Amino acid sequence: MKKMKETKREKLLAWLFIAPATAAFIAFMFWPLVYTVYLSFLKWNMVAPTKKVVGLKNYVDVLTDPLTAKLLGNTLIYIVFLVIMIFALPYILAFVNTFIMKKGKGIYKTLLFIPSLISLVVGAIVLQFIFNPISGPVGAVLGRFGITMPSWSKTKGLVIIVISLVAVFKTFGYNFLVLLSGMSGVSTELIEAARLEKTPNRKIFRKIVMPLTSSTAIYVLIMSIVQGMQYVFTPIKVLTQGGPNDASSNIIYGVYQEAFGFYNSGKASALSIITMVVFLILLFLEFRYVEKGVYYEN
Amino acid sequence: MKIRDRQNILWHITFIVLVLLFLYPIIYAFFTSFKTLPEALNSTTKLLPKEPTTEAYSNILSKIPIVRITINTFVIATIVTVFKVITGVLASYSFVFFEFKGKKAMYFVLISTIFIPFTVTMIPNFITISNIGLRDQILGVALPQLADATGIFLLRQHMRGIPKSLLEVAKLEKTPHLKILRTIVVPIIKPAILSIGIIFFINSWNEFVWPSLILKSQENYTLSLALQMFVSSEGGTDIPVAMAISVLTMALPLAIFAFCQKHIINTFAQSGIKG
Repeated sequence: MKKMKETKREKLLAWLFIAPATAAFIAFMFWPLVYTVYLSFLKWNMVAPTKKVVGLKNYVDVLTDPLTAKLLGNTLIYIVFLVIMIFALPYILAFVNTFIMKKGKGIYKTLLFIPSLISLVVGAIVLQFIFNPISGPVGAVLGRFGITMPSWSKTKGLVIIVISLVAVFKTFGYNFLVLLSGMSGVSTELIEAARLEKTPNRKIFRKIVMPLTSSTAIYVLIMSIVQGMQYVFTPIKVLTQGGPNDASSNIIYGVYQEAFGFYNSGKASALSIITMVVFLILLFLEFRYVEKGVYYEN
Repeated sequence: MKIRDRQNILWHITFIVLVLLFLYPIIYAFFTSFKTLPEALNSTTKLLPKEPTTEAYSNILSKIPIVRITINTFVIATIVTVFKVITGVLASYSFVFFEFKGKKAMYFVLISTIFIPFTVTMIPNFITISNIGLRDQILGVALPQLADATGIFLLRQHMRGIPKSLLEVAKLEKTPHLKILRTIVVPIIKPAILSIGIIFFINSWNEFVWPSLILKSQENYTLSLALQMFVSSEGGTDIPVAMAISVLTMALPLAIFAFCQKHIINTFAQSGIKG
């Protein structure tokens, strides 16, 4: 009898301990999520006292708008570039740093981590000056090789690269550190044995290291995509406002513009729900391939 | 053997170049903030100022309430950090040391918030904060950020490393859970709490999007918003002033890192994701 009372008390305590975090998430995460779904079926300008129910019209509008196709296309270019720069590159370099380099290799992770402490606004503005075609150092260096640097903020394609570099600056070192820690789980004897058989490094990476670090790698890959999409928002907002002619806008900035530029909460909500569905697909993939090995190993 | 040595040196050079590229923007901002405007516009690859001047810094002091703005940023970051740590420690204690029905499901639900993009919560939160009269107030910036899924995830990882047997004695003696938490669990994972707290603080310190929606008047601005003020006007950007505010914004995070870098690097290298 006493025992049962005790376990009941324990259970109540357990819920009390998670209550503060849960309350905060309900108020500012889950309730807003539900409300955004609700808003996506309405026509509203965020101030008028009346909201008009329009059913799926906002979704139809968003999906048939040529701008959405453009934003999705840009988003894809951002993702491809970011995956190469903040996932593939640090992955390979983490391998090199762990298994190929000798002596004094530990300092690099600390130094490369430093930019991740810096505000995206600072990163955006400093890179804007560095890439300024007239007064910036990059233009001057290119000039010495006889290359005239175009005005990147007005050049389609190039604008996405420079804006992505702000996110690369911010996330490269952090991803490198995480991938490096994944590598530390691979036994060096295994690598040495492969070396004795004269296996080339490229093959060691592909056949031994990649399979053994796959869950860390998939985690970093998915976070690179999910956070990368949001990390480029700040430089877009600060430097180009999506221009020239929406060439640097992505799906996240599109939602922002629809909401706080045009005060069209219905279309903005519909577009953000579509974004989240894309995220949920990624989440599903994460749980399918990563979660088993990561969160619940005991 | 010789080939491997040469290869080793080449890789070291590659890494050194990479480090220089990544640290260059920080160094560039620092030196440019001590240049005059004409020099900044003409110096291109010349990094060091010819005649260092603190003109940009005195300009900031006279043009915007920079002290107030720095305090705002600090207060928001402190509130957010304290709450995120408390709600995170409590929740992860529950997930590690209590057994209850729906534990896994609950954990999954809380962690899944990592995947909710900010655009999904932005409009309703903006409306909520406006409705309760916290628009243009620093509390309105802090309020929606009192809990953090990544924090719960990391704290839980660290708490799981504590041997359960350590707690058994305390439990037999019927020590209240809050006391176990305070006297056993927290002291053991103190380094992790410290570095996770530091990361919360720095992230909030650097935050831009949400404060830009909520804060309207200059005296309520945070550093990131003040910085944007000096570049938004087309072409009329005062480079040294913008760089000086950048330096002020970077200073505290970099100083904290300089003091606790070992802790921070270890927390992120060891915890979280294990291959």
